Amino acid sequence: MKTVSVDSVSYQLKGSNWWARATAACLLALGSGALFSTSAVADEPQHGGTLNVILDPEPPMLILGINQQAPTQLVAGKMYESLLRYDFELEPMPSLASEWEISDDGLTYTFHLQEGVTWHDGEPFTSHDVVFTATEFLPETHPRASSNFRRLESVTAPDDHTVVFQLDEAYPAFILAFEVASFPIMPAHIYEGTDFTDNEMNDHPIGTGPFKFERWSRGDYVQLTAYEDYWQDGKPYLDQIYFRLIPDAASRALALETQQVDISSFNNIEPFDVPRLEQLPHLEVITEGYEIAAPLSWIEINHRVEPLDDPRFRQAMMYALDREFIRDNIFMGLGRVPTGPINTVTIEYTDEVHIYEHDPDRAMELMDEMGLEPDGNGVRAEVELLPLPYGETFIRLAEYTREALGQVGIRVRMRSTDSAGWAQRVADWEYELTNNFVYQYGHPALGVSRTYICDNIRQGVLFSNTMGYCNEEVDDLFARAAVENDPDERAALYAKVQQILVEELPVIWLLEMEFPTIVNTRVRNATTTAIGVADTFADTWIEQ
Amino acid sequence: MSRDFWRAFANNYGAVIGLALLLAVVLMAAFADVIYPRSPWSMVTTPFQPPLSDDVLLGSDTLGRDIAAGIVHGSRVSLLIGLTSSAVALFIGVTLGALAGYFGGWVDDAIMRFTELFQTIPNFVLAVVLVAIFTPSIGSLVAAIAIVSWPPLARLARGEFLSLRSREFVLAAVTTGQSTTRIILREILPNSLSPIIVAASLTVATAILLESALSFLGLGDPNMMSWGYMIGASRTVIRQAWWMSFFPGIAILITVLAINLVGEGLNDALNPKLARKGRGR
Amino acid sequence: MAKIGLFLARRLVKAAIILFFIVLINFALIRAAPGDPASVMAGEAGASDERYVELLRQRFGLDEPLHTQMFIYVTSVFQGDLGYSYRQGRNVSALILERLPATLLLTVTAFVFALAMGVLLGTLAAMKVGRWADTAITTLALISYATPLFWLGLMLILLFSVQLGWLPSFGFESVGAGFTGIDRMLDVAAHMVLPVLTLGLFYMAVYTRLTRSSILEIHDMDFVKTARSKGVTEGKVMVFHVLRNAILPVITFAGFQAGHLIGGSILVETVFAWPGIGRLAFNALLQRDYQVLLGVFVVTSILVLLFNIITDLLYTIVDPRIEVE
Repeated sequence: MKTVSVDSVSYQLKGSNWWARATAACLLALGSGALFSTSAVADEPQHGGTLNVILDPEPPMLILGINQQAPTQLVAGKMYESLLRYDFELEPMPSLASEWEISDDGLTYTFHLQEGVTWHDGEPFTSHDVVFTATEFLPETHPRASSNFRRLESVTAPDDHTVVFQLDEAYPAFILAFEVASFPIMPAHIYEGTDFTDNEMNDHPIGTGPFKFERWSRGDYVQLTAYEDYWQDGKPYLDQIYFRLIPDAASRALALETQQVDISSFNNIEPFDVPRLEQLPHLEVITEGYEIAAPLSWIEINHRVEPLDDPRFRQAMMYALDREFIRDNIFMGLGRVPTGPINTVTIEYTDEVHIYEHDPDRAMELMDEMGLEPDGNGVRAEVELLPLPYGETFIRLAEYTREALGQVGIRVRMRSTDSAGWAQRVADWEYELTNNFVYQYGHPALGVSRTYICDNIRQGVLFSNTMGYCNEEVDDLFARAAVENDPDERAALYAKVQQILVEELPVIWLLEMEFPTIVNTRVRNATTTAIGVADTFADTWIEQ
Repeated sequence: MSRDFWRAFANNYGAVIGLALLLAVVLMAAFADVIYPRSPWSMVTTPFQPPLSDDVLLGSDTLGRDIAAGIVHGSRVSLLIGLTSSAVALFIGVTLGALAGYFGGWVDDAIMRFTELFQTIPNFVLAVVLVAIFTPSIGSLVAAIAIVSWPPLARLARGEFLSLRSREFVLAAVTTGQSTTRIILREILPNSLSPIIVAASLTVATAILLESALSFLGLGDPNMMSWGYMIGASRTVIRQAWWMSFFPGIAILITVLAINLVGEGLNDALNPKLARKGRGR
Repeated sequence: MAKIGLFLARRLVKAAIILFFIVLINFALIRAAPGDPASVMAGEAGASDERYVELLRQRFGLDEPLHTQMFIYVTSVFQGDLGYSYRQGRNVSALILERLPATLLLTVTAFVFALAMGVLLGTLAAMKVGRWADTAITTLALISYATPLFWLGLMLILLFSVQLGWLPSFGFESVGAGFTGIDRMLDVAAHMVLPVLTLGLFYMAVYTRLTRSSILEIHDMDFVKTARSKGVTEGKVMVFHVLRNAILPVITFAGFQAGHLIGGSILVETVFAWPGIGRLAFNALLQRDYQVLLGVFVVTSILVLLFNIITDLLYTIVDPRIEVE
């Protein structure tokens, strides 16, 4: 099993999580299907009840085709569906597509749609909606559509319940592009021929999912109710869901504790609070359900600035940082120390790379080699760090980084910004060091290569190669791997590129982040797929 | 300063206590590097140590930094920002107020409308916007706090100048042909100084509160340890670790209280007629 | 009455001019900030693409020259249109109107609480001047005056929600509890206690001190002595002669503080998760949702201007000797 090496590191620190994951993985392997959570497997689902879920920050809108921020997904994921879902190992599962085939040359993807599916306004769902979404809606509204669909030649609907995607080049990552936030199916009968972003129905989402929109009291809560004509008979089990807006982290923890809410997700709860909440008998902490996102956190380095352009200096920084301290004391044990650019849970990961240990002496040696001698104050170099303005944890991370680099003679000045200023500076390359974390979307071709290839050095675009790192061999390997249809060849190409990147350290990988999903034990099946609580909740039920 | 002044000041218990507390804070700031030679950011011990632990008197924070060291070093930021921003506010306020009060007419009108403008925009909101826009740093904090703090000082200075403008000694100076600048600086300003000093001392207190509130929202200078920052940073762990936000809050409370007490003492001593009137700010 | 009408008209014109400059200054200020809403949205989506960001900028009208944007904005504000938040896909006026009641409820309650308690305590202290009640009240006021709002809020939560479990620590009401009528009012009231205390204590301290000192000042003035010598009882003297005049500076000051109160509500709303415009403004700032932020500035400024006009009118009611100019 490919995840063993890293998991065994974290085993001592958080045995319970490891066991939960191992159990889950084994059950999956046994083919027992997707309908279980970490604690309850055998119980019979019960109908009824209201679920309260923490929502923070407030999403700007709930139309998933137009906005795909995490909070939007959390709510809209109950109302919209895509063709596929994915289990924790990223294997596709049926959703609006009941079956699918991929031709041997990897060029033709045929999807057979579920019968008897209706939109929340009663209109029937057909293949036309899928074609409309892929060819008209998403290309105009979705930031990842152009890269996901780059190799798409045509999308056709031979009949009402079949859709064929024709590629001009084999692209094995394509099967992972049908997750609901990447490809939410939008209702053609509402949007066709209108200005999508200015449609009057944007206040009232219409999807095919198990829950339909009821009301949104801004600043307070969003309410969804069960859709009585949902295509899976007998589901959903819940009567309604309240997404409650609680902007203060401490208040969110309190709400879980006092059972005012049942579920928190992503970084709703500050890592400091997680161990304490985990102790409470009525709460459990689940770390599965972020395999599609697979966030990898790193220190982003502007290679246009001296001495950051020197790989030895970057290696020195890597050796200076104690990444286990970061995981244990800043992220409170949530996450894994990464070995390279690809997250352990992402497809094509390899651990056969150079492993960097915490070794401040080595860091100083490297800088000596570069001729960076300490001055009277012990300072060898001075750099500026732009902390990521996404909450307390990242501020603590920046503060730790400043101390740890200071220990080996790299003086760090911090410059704070808000999220707007941060986005602008990083996109426009006006930074030296910053923290960032980037989603991998399950596959290196979808979410990894974009930050390392020369082609993607694009000023003004966030989550591109903002470092300015450029190695043509890396470009070539990523390009060939993306269209390689043979699994072994592909694995070899990806292994090679990982080894080069680990040697050159375009960025300093700090942590494969794990987000805690904290769930009240009366709630069952809160997390059943690789998108976790952003999934439909069709199978979620409450013990009465 | 006369003997009367000191006697009046010393008779006011509150003012004496305030002065003592303030002195303690000033000493703490001056000798911060002696009391805690290491940077307040350095992680000296295990995180989450409660107060009265072996090596940390007031406990440690989420990264194992010494709270006591943070409080001692934080006094520098509070005093630095409190004093400089008040000085800037005083400069802007007194200049504008003096011009308005001395010249009257359209100058007065224009300046007063301008002042009203700044009093109409909710001042904390304006400060937040200013700091966020110019990115948080000592400079932007001082500027933002000064910009929202000067209007009351301007009004006060205008009032003083307006009333002194028509006094005999000023009229005499005008008829003897003294220059306007000289009249303003040499004749009127010294005579209007006492209420302005009192108001300025209270401005320092408000400035410290403003700074802590901005830092609490994450808009402080990231390179300086400040009390508001300490509270903001430990707000999320308040249930496990009350001491992380309790002690810095007490530090702010004591400092602001001390300055207010001294301000009142000054008020009573400088303006015996108005004693105990306790202007609003 | 005609006089009051004329007074109001003049004040309104003046207010409109001030408002115009406020809009202008704030527009310039906000646009001086680095980063725009399009880049923030790209950042939050976790992926980005030039065409997508360009499209967003076009849609937000950010590709127009700045002076054109400013002209469009200023004219539309004076036509009563606060613009459209593309980020949230809604009219700014609708967004603000939704949040305004919560903020008004909080600030007005805190204000009334502060004023009532302040005048009461101030009067009490003045009547017992020099005695222990006076010392206690003065000390309480001094301490409240020096306490940072946000810290007080946290400590109150720690005491009343966490330790004692008496009061809810955040939110506007118990969502999903399905309360109606009187139950709902009680529920909201319970949620209001801590935020109102937090916001109100500071101003209570201010009004206590003001009332006390202004009573002491008036207490020995001739007209009060005259009243006393006429044999009017001490209680009546207090209410009809002293308090009535002593309250004037308190009102003046309260007028000036309307803006402060709204500013303070940003902090209180953040600590207590109160769904008001303070938080709306803070989030809008972080997300560079220009239209919303400007809208909040305009609305709060209008509130302050209105409040000032009202206090001026109150003045004439409390003290009939002062004529409206």
